[in-house]
Amino acid sequence: MNRLNKLLVFPALLMLAVAGCSDNGTGADELNFDASPMLENESNNIILQTYVNLDTEAGLLVDAVNELQQNTTQQNLEAARQQWRNTRKPWENSESFLFGPVASEGIDPAIDDWPVNKTDLDNVLASNDELTKEYVDGLETGLKGFHTIEYLLFGESNDKAIDDFTNREFDYLTSASASLKGETAKLVAAWNPEEGNYVNAIVSAGSSSQIYPSKKSAVEELINGMEVIADEVANGKIADPLSQQDPTLVESQFSFNSKVDFQNNIRSIMHIYTGNYKDSSGPGISDFVTELDADLDSRFRAEMDAAITAIDNIPGNFRDAITENPDDVENAQEAVRTILSTIQEDIKPLLNEL
Amino acid sequence: MSCKKYSFLFLVTSLAVIFHGCDVFSSGDEDVGAAFSEQEINSGGATTVYDAGTNAFSRPAPNLSDAALEKHNAGDAEFEASFVTAPAEVNGGLGPLFNNSNCSSCHVNDGRGKPFFDDGSISSVLVRISLNGDEPGDPIPVDGFGLQIQNKAVYSKVPEADVEAIYDYITEQLDDGTEVELRDPTYQVLNPYKPIPSNANTSVRTAPPVFGLGLLEAIPEQQIMANADPNDTDDDGISGKANYVMNDSTNQRELGRFGWKANQPTVIQQVARAYQQDMGVTTPYYPHDNDYGYPEAEDGLDDDPELSQQILEQTTFYVQTLGVPAKRNAENPIVKQGRELFQQAGCQSCHTPQFTTSTNTDIDALAGQTIFPYTDLLLHDMGEGLADHRSDFKASGREWRTPPLWGIGLVEVVNGHQSFLHDGRAQSILEAILWHGGEAQKSKEFVKQLSENERKALVKFVKSI
Repeated sequence: MNRLNKLLVFPALLMLAVAGCSDNGTGADELNFDASPMLENESNNIILQTYVNLDTEAGLLVDAVNELQQNTTQQNLEAARQQWRNTRKPWENSESFLFGPVASEGIDPAIDDWPVNKTDLDNVLASNDELTKEYVDGLETGLKGFHTIEYLLFGESNDKAIDDFTNREFDYLTSASASLKGETAKLVAAWNPEEGNYVNAIVSAGSSSQIYPSKKSAVEELINGMEVIADEVANGKIADPLSQQDPTLVESQFSFNSKVDFQNNIRSIMHIYTGNYKDSSGPGISDFVTELDADLDSRFRAEMDAAITAIDNIPGNFRDAITENPDDVENAQEAVRTILSTIQEDIKPLLNEL
Repeated sequence: MSCKKYSFLFLVTSLAVIFHGCDVFSSGDEDVGAAFSEQEINSGGATTVYDAGTNAFSRPAPNLSDAALEKHNAGDAEFEASFVTAPAEVNGGLGPLFNNSNCSSCHVNDGRGKPFFDDGSISSVLVRISLNGDEPGDPIPVDGFGLQIQNKAVYSKVPEADVEAIYDYITEQLDDGTEVELRDPTYQVLNPYKPIPSNANTSVRTAPPVFGLGLLEAIPEQQIMANADPNDTDDDGISGKANYVMNDSTNQRELGRFGWKANQPTVIQQVARAYQQDMGVTTPYYPHDNDYGYPEAEDGLDDDPELSQQILEQTTFYVQTLGVPAKRNAENPIVKQGRELFQQAGCQSCHTPQFTTSTNTDIDALAGQTIFPYTDLLLHDMGEGLADHRSDFKASGREWRTPPLWGIGLVEVVNGHQSFLHDGRAQSILEAILWHGGEAQKSKEFVKQLSENERKALVKFVKSI
């Protein structure tokens, strides 16, 4: 996940040099503009709201698989599959901020571990164990979360027929979906100001925050989060299966949802960058970039749009395209790498001019 | 790495130092300590990285060649890889017994594990187990359990046992009357699949951060031994004892450097051991599953080693070549004051600030680096409070290896907790200091008589390392 390029370090060193009187190893301690409205907006209206949407969609997934279990129709199967995709979207939209409780509380692996432990899944299905949410909660991460549910709903190649389902699989699906919902609820609780209030770690940066000693360090964390997922999409999610020509390494391979996943990752960067998410808009990274270098802002927005288009231009489903249309896949990879290098070489260094 | 890039690097770091020299305080606050040198700020020499956020421990050393960076990145993917029950298309080989299914579940963000999640379930805790050999002596595996209790198993197998912590709280009163509550754990090994022999010794571990290990490996042995004083012949109350442990690839005794008791001689052995013991994944280094004396747990598959030598070496290379975060807050006068107090307390007698790595290393980026890990890599008697009464090669039941302090102030942002010491019992830097005893008793007493502001300065310095 953290495949971070060494290029980053050169701007960081420059940062140290130009930062002047520094109270922090990463450069000047404070910014010469008030970052508070941006940190408020990013943490409350984007991060927390993305998790709230994830949790809502996960709840609807529980409903959908319960309905499928009650009425095993093709229509309900399609509805459950669509709801899996709907739930997947806010999760992928959250991957530009994989810091905080999602990592430290082990929630990311519980939600999104891969590969599926098919051998043990078969063993569990063949057993007489009572399948409940609590039972799945106690299983290893390779036996729960999005990809286990995906495998059960879609089959090996997005071709599972309604008649192929066993009763045990329905039991597992409902339990695993309830378990996923439990994890998404944990995420909301961890960030919610009424509960774990990780929002406050960001909002109170530079004052009472135990995590972020300066507002600048919180802004840096947001930009680093954008960098991490751009790197992961270009140099992990696309690069690994492409370079090894191995479809078993493809993310969301059972549902053929890979391209949508990647695009939603890019949109996750967009949300943090622009400060806009769904119907909400507010200050984001873009504001100070525009102030200092309006051309850079336009260019970066265009690069994000271009990456989404380039991913869209990969014909068919991604796991076939890595072997059948590698040039198109490489084009998409290059477009995401362009985003990455702009973040590293152009956007991050701007922090020192603030 | 071309010479051109090197020059650029040094030019920029020099600039950094020039600018760092200015005084941040215009209010007339008096600096009580000397300024930190350029070398001290760049804790990992040319491997230093400048990120004080979540990814502070996850950046590759910036001085890697392109080929080395490629190998590092391959190792990064392996470090993240989750293993599943064999047979499997991808990442088969988990277990049959294990503690976790990937490296990064314990070393989250390449950092420090916390013992338990907020909901009480195990996050990064494992139990070592052995019988007494000669005291101190080589740990003798316990029949049916080996040298480590695996609390998880693949579906069809029964885990060896579970572990639970019960925390009592003891109060340490400082000289100014401040009371600090210390979490004092008792561990219970529950539900063993068969009775554990009553003479078996157990000891709990949490996962340490994994950056900087290649640099520690590259410290010449004579530099480490220069600080050793096993019989305290200089009568300063500080011993410093080298552990000599088995290198399982050469069957020779070597200086132990890694692990809470310095019981591993090399990074590759540490990594291979973690694959085998923590995840149940066999490698050419340890080609047998971890079901020592537990035939019912055998997977019956003829698939060992489950991981290739190439992957083992990539993962090893990854942790060897992670960059070391730069010192933070170097210009803060309180941090400088804290360093004075650190020295007055005698902390640096064991937390040795500085070493220079060998110029002759397998990895070019690690050669000849002046580094500031704040460890002597030696064993010290830490007193009864921390004693686990379990020997590990030359380490007695009261002795622990001085852990490195670099990056310790970043654990909260990287890992979301401040659980320190071998089992994560301390929940702040101050608590960790107050657990020190034995050879460190005098240092602890010094800290206890400090004023509140002085204590804060000391902690702020430690967090800046």
